[in-house]
Amino acid sequence: MAPLVGIIANPVSARDIRRVIANATSLQITDRANIVLRVLACLKASGVGQVVMMPENGGIRHHVRRGVERSRNLGEHEFPEITYLDMAITGTVDDTIRAADLMRQMKVGTIVVLGGDGTHRAVVSRSGDVPIAGISTGTNNAFPEHREPTITGLAVGLAVTGRVPQTVAYAPNKKLVVRVNDQAPEIALVDVAFVTERVVGARALWKPETFRELFVTFADPEVIGMSAIAGLLEPVRRHEPGGLHVLLAPVEDAPLALTVPIAPGYMRPIGIASWQKLVAGKSHGPQIAAGSIALDGERELSFSERDRVQVALEENAFRTVNVAAVMDHAARHGLMRRAGLMTMKRQVS
Amino acid sequence: MSKNPFPLDKQGLLEAYRTMRTIREFEERLHNEFAKGDIPGFVHLYAGEEASGTGIMMHLNDRDRIASTHRGHGHCIAKGVDVKGMMGEIYGKAMGSCRGKGGSMHIADLSKGMMGANGILGAGAPLACGAALAAKFRGDGGVGISFVGDGASNQGMFLESLNLAAVWNLPAIFVVENNGYAESTSRDYAVAVDSYVDRAAGFGLPGVTVDGTDFFAVYEAAGEIIKRAREGGGPALLECKMIRFFGHFEGDQQTYRGKGEVEHIRAQRDCIKLFSDKVVEAGVIKRPELEAIDKEVLKLIDEAVATAKAAPMPAPAELLTDVYVAY
Repeated sequence: MAPLVGIIANPVSARDIRRVIANATSLQITDRANIVLRVLACLKASGVGQVVMMPENGGIRHHVRRGVERSRNLGEHEFPEITYLDMAITGTVDDTIRAADLMRQMKVGTIVVLGGDGTHRAVVSRSGDVPIAGISTGTNNAFPEHREPTITGLAVGLAVTGRVPQTVAYAPNKKLVVRVNDQAPEIALVDVAFVTERVVGARALWKPETFRELFVTFADPEVIGMSAIAGLLEPVRRHEPGGLHVLLAPVEDAPLALTVPIAPGYMRPIGIASWQKLVAGKSHGPQIAAGSIALDGERELSFSERDRVQVALEENAFRTVNVAAVMDHAARHGLMRRAGLMTMKRQVS
Repeated sequence: MSKNPFPLDKQGLLEAYRTMRTIREFEERLHNEFAKGDIPGFVHLYAGEEASGTGIMMHLNDRDRIASTHRGHGHCIAKGVDVKGMMGEIYGKAMGSCRGKGGSMHIADLSKGMMGANGILGAGAPLACGAALAAKFRGDGGVGISFVGDGASNQGMFLESLNLAAVWNLPAIFVVENNGYAESTSRDYAVAVDSYVDRAAGFGLPGVTVDGTDFFAVYEAAGEIIKRAREGGGPALLECKMIRFFGHFEGDQQTYRGKGEVEHIRAQRDCIKLFSDKVVEAGVIKRPELEAIDKEVLKLIDEAVATAKAAPMPAPAELLTDVYVAY
């Protein structure tokens, strides 16, 4: 079967209060559309003929359509055939969830995701066995690796067309599962934080005095946001077993203060009470009786003394395209090579 | 009772509820009264949008100035304008906020920092820049806030004001109350830029989008933006994504709305219900405390309507007074 790739591009990521408190980036819609066009061109170049996209009303679709049309008129780039999922558009994260669900049912080879950690989390909540390839267009973005989307598109094409072995092309990832009472579980790809504010409010986290507890799947000192706290304490790699569990406190009540970029350009001292390795499969209840649960850096749920909250780390939870490994394999095995014109001429004569 | 987890103390939460409830009752009553034909001119109702005006205005004092829109009742009430004076104004009576000469679209009260509702779309933005410039010169930490709808956000005056505010680093805040329709024209069709954050970035100021039906989202974001402006951090744009319960104006047949749209938003996105459920669920406020406010508000609006109806019209001799101001 010809490989089919799904693209979910979120037009509403990177729009929150961190633009005011931390000079965070605001990637324009036209730039997001240009990223989609770059990915599409690379998918086509690596043999992907069909792409299915999430429909949205944020403007990306129209810019992509114009871009494809202009390129066709100019004879510049070739693009795969693009179709859109047949679904109602709500303009909320529900669209991303629904699109991921439909793409899994269509058995797409990979879902390319444009968004921040929140968008990636929404996709993974429904993508099942389908690998994802992340492109960062959000604010903190600990989950999607930062690289030129051209390369991500190329790697996805090489992976889904089978030119790179599956064992090389895809990598397993960890996730955190949060259960509140008997409700359907929520997930986080990078971090779960418990904070004392009980309202979801403006969602972002920027008040360290409210931070009480943090669970992370990986801890990278090169990222920003909540997971940066763990990353600067004790790095844990993305693909190694286990995570980190950190107890936080107001700086004046803590034995250790750690300076952390908790938002872009926003360095704050964070009070650390203690930390330990987080082992997969073991459930942890929060230290505070009431507050909010932030998933991947944004307050999503609130809980009170009456709620039973559990967090657990899960390994081998979902797969991502290992872009670095795919490109390394492609280079070492000459996948981008073909006979040069000189050789071809010699063969003819 | 559990510890209050909200960014406002109990008194503040009750005040927020009272303001939103007063706006809602005021507008629902006008919806009914306008149909009777006693009210001159047009009215544009703010019902469904209460969390935006209330969440922003709770950070302001009487010296901070706001410039409102044609849909200004909610802004007036949240800014502290006397409700009976407002009702009198809408009925065109001499006891009205502007002595009955302005009507719904021109209610103003400078003593409360309310520079006026405004029938000219987008015209509030340069006024807010002026107020912000004055505050900057005085150095009193005041701010100027302009409200526009998604339709008026396309007006030249609004765009020029964004530029001016950025160039002069004014303590000006531009609130886009995006209810999805410019009168009957969909925002998705009529606003060329896809995001208001993009539009702000084009003028060199930060933009933020929040769910305008979530009081706490508005309150928290507006708090940061206003604090930043007071401290010299400059202008910003805040987009509140919201909904309106009624038509563009009273009498609007709303044929542009989807089937069941109004019923759906009333059931699922009523900002007052969302607020009440949250504060009651958290155990900070008891339902009867809210119901007591409902009764007081109902009484206030009853009195406002009765007083306005019974009040005399402005005398013919008043026709040419208050027209010009001598400086």
